[in-house]
Amino acid sequence: MRLLALMRTEWRLAWRDPHAMGVLFVMPALFVLIMAHAMSGIIRTDLPPLQLAVEVPVSSPASEFFLAALQAQLPDSSLQSDDPVVDARIRLPDDFDDKLLDTPHQGPTLSFAAASDTLQRARIRNAVILALAQTRLAAFLLDSGLLDEREPLSSRLQHVQEQTESRLPEYQILSSGSLAASANAGQLSVPAWLIFGMFFIVLPMSSRLQQEFQSGILLRLRVIRLAPLLLLVGKLLPYSLLNLIQFAALLALGCFILPLTGLPALELHGSWQAYVLLAMCITLASCSFGVLISALARSSEQALLLSAGSNLMLAALGGIMVPKSMMPAAMQQLAELSPMGWSQDAFLTLLVGQGSVADILPACGSLLLFALVCALTGTFLLRHRLRNTLWTSQN
Amino acid sequence: MLELHNMEYSYPGADRAALVDVSLRLEKGECLGLLGANGAGKTTVLSLIAGLLQPDSGQVVCPGSGNIGLVPQTLAFHTRLSVQENLELFADLYRLKGPRRQQRMQRMIEATRLEGLLKRRAGQLSGGQQRRLNVAIGLLQPAELYLLDEATVGIDSLNRHHVLQAVRELINEGETVIYTSHYLPEIEQVADRVLLLAEGRVQLDAPLHMQQPKRVYIRWPVQMPLAIERFMNTHATQWQHAADGLLQAELADEASWPQLLRLLAEQDDAPLHLEYRQPGLEELYLRASGGQL
Repeated sequence: MRLLALMRTEWRLAWRDPHAMGVLFVMPALFVLIMAHAMSGIIRTDLPPLQLAVEVPVSSPASEFFLAALQAQLPDSSLQSDDPVVDARIRLPDDFDDKLLDTPHQGPTLSFAAASDTLQRARIRNAVILALAQTRLAAFLLDSGLLDEREPLSSRLQHVQEQTESRLPEYQILSSGSLAASANAGQLSVPAWLIFGMFFIVLPMSSRLQQEFQSGILLRLRVIRLAPLLLLVGKLLPYSLLNLIQFAALLALGCFILPLTGLPALELHGSWQAYVLLAMCITLASCSFGVLISALARSSEQALLLSAGSNLMLAALGGIMVPKSMMPAAMQQLAELSPMGWSQDAFLTLLVGQGSVADILPACGSLLLFALVCALTGTFLLRHRLRNTLWTSQN
Repeated sequence: MLELHNMEYSYPGADRAALVDVSLRLEKGECLGLLGANGAGKTTVLSLIAGLLQPDSGQVVCPGSGNIGLVPQTLAFHTRLSVQENLELFADLYRLKGPRRQQRMQRMIEATRLEGLLKRRAGQLSGGQQRRLNVAIGLLQPAELYLLDEATVGIDSLNRHHVLQAVRELINEGETVIYTSHYLPEIEQVADRVLLLAEGRVQLDAPLHMQQPKRVYIRWPVQMPLAIERFMNTHATQWQHAADGLLQAELADEASWPQLLRLLAEQDDAPLHLEYRQPGLEELYLRASGGQL
């Protein structure tokens, strides 16, 4: 009866606290949407069209073939852009036609715009090299009589493409661990800010407990000899349930709302049991961390600073704000110290590595160990503090 | 009902003892007014009785279930819950069930005049209404002893009246109460006995309504006539002439009062103030505490 009353109260108080709801649901949802869009510019699966200006001083069948081969490599891009600012200018040499079969061969000159990034430059360079190789092969085949000059350009290009292209069977190797490098924007952002939001349960948990210390509610509970463990369980269970609701709601956001904003939907690979296990492990870790912070803070202000400060630190370390794949090796090693990093690794194992329950067990084990250490330390400190709750309002 | 025997307590690191040789005995149905200046040791006594502190020496004997109803000075309830939800929560925590639960809740709601406020969030109540809720939650618990610490601090006289009435009803029904307050008229209104603490020691432990000897209070316009002072030397068991011009005297017997009136009538001047009555709590308090309030 007492436990139910405490749980019901904590549940009501949490839902009636607009700040708590903002921190637990609105903030991570906004972060998911904003950061997924921000990351989509860096981590892209669909490459943007390029604006190129190909300068051909002397037009010839070979230069026409080159242009057609280059367009085939960059189907959405413009090769003769009128835009004064282009990503690159490609100038064919005057004697392009005559020296195609020379070795060594002098190819077109590439001039990149200052704003073009490394990825764009590599993309243009690769496309030019392949188109040039195909043009040279076409010249060789013509010279050898293996290709008929009277064939239409498209037919000749198709012939050369058939000669140069190979089928590459691709498979996804199921894997676990750090998979951030191969994740898309949604796969990185949704779990990252979901984990961040779940760990923010620490804030309402610790703030509420400080208010109860300061208001004298805990004094009342102590006088009626309420067991500290009962009080803790009465708080932990509702907050754990809230954490699980956060998990489901933010995953749903990734699956159903993210595609409405123009980004790919989050696809949940792997078994549902693995997601349930992961949700429970993150919940235990975040709520136990909340117990520890609640025990350490001595006022609402301290609770706010400790909660927000420690969460931001764990997030920065754990690859929540900047994906681990973008960190230098030393920072990636530091990321292994953060429970948010372990959670993120487990998530990517499921989403990207298409892993199973067995694949996320190491990360879940680390989270449970973290939860155990935080819960035991926090409970010990809180029991001590509750035992020393005095009559006065300042405890 | 409740006995404290020679209790001593020092807070860790404190340079002086918080309580020195404090003893008291409280009978069932009695209300003790606990008085003392800030730092006198009132809170320490309450904490020892409530079991929040263990005495260094001495003993607290509290027979029965040991349940204590507490009304702390701070507003100890959830401001985001309604009045009804707060009362329901604490009724659950006090393990109140069935008809007794409903009966007790109804009684406290009526006693603290919270009937029309049950659906309101506690945080939206006025200061006085919040105090009434704080008292209702404390008195809701079926207990052997109720501890009320400055239960009416900071509220208006009407709300104070409601709270005191609720406490008085509780006492009239045979409950035992320890009540601390800085408002002496409140103590006079609810307490049967007073215990005055100063620097951790009991300065006064006396029934509030016992027959205190009557005292004469005279204030003279300029200089107190010599004849009056001579009269006091022969007819008063004790008397003093304060710096503010007020003469207080305890007459040896009531028959001296008419003699004094005749003597006063013979004087050239008339007294500015003249009273013959039992002293009030404030005078007892001031006398026992050496003027500290």
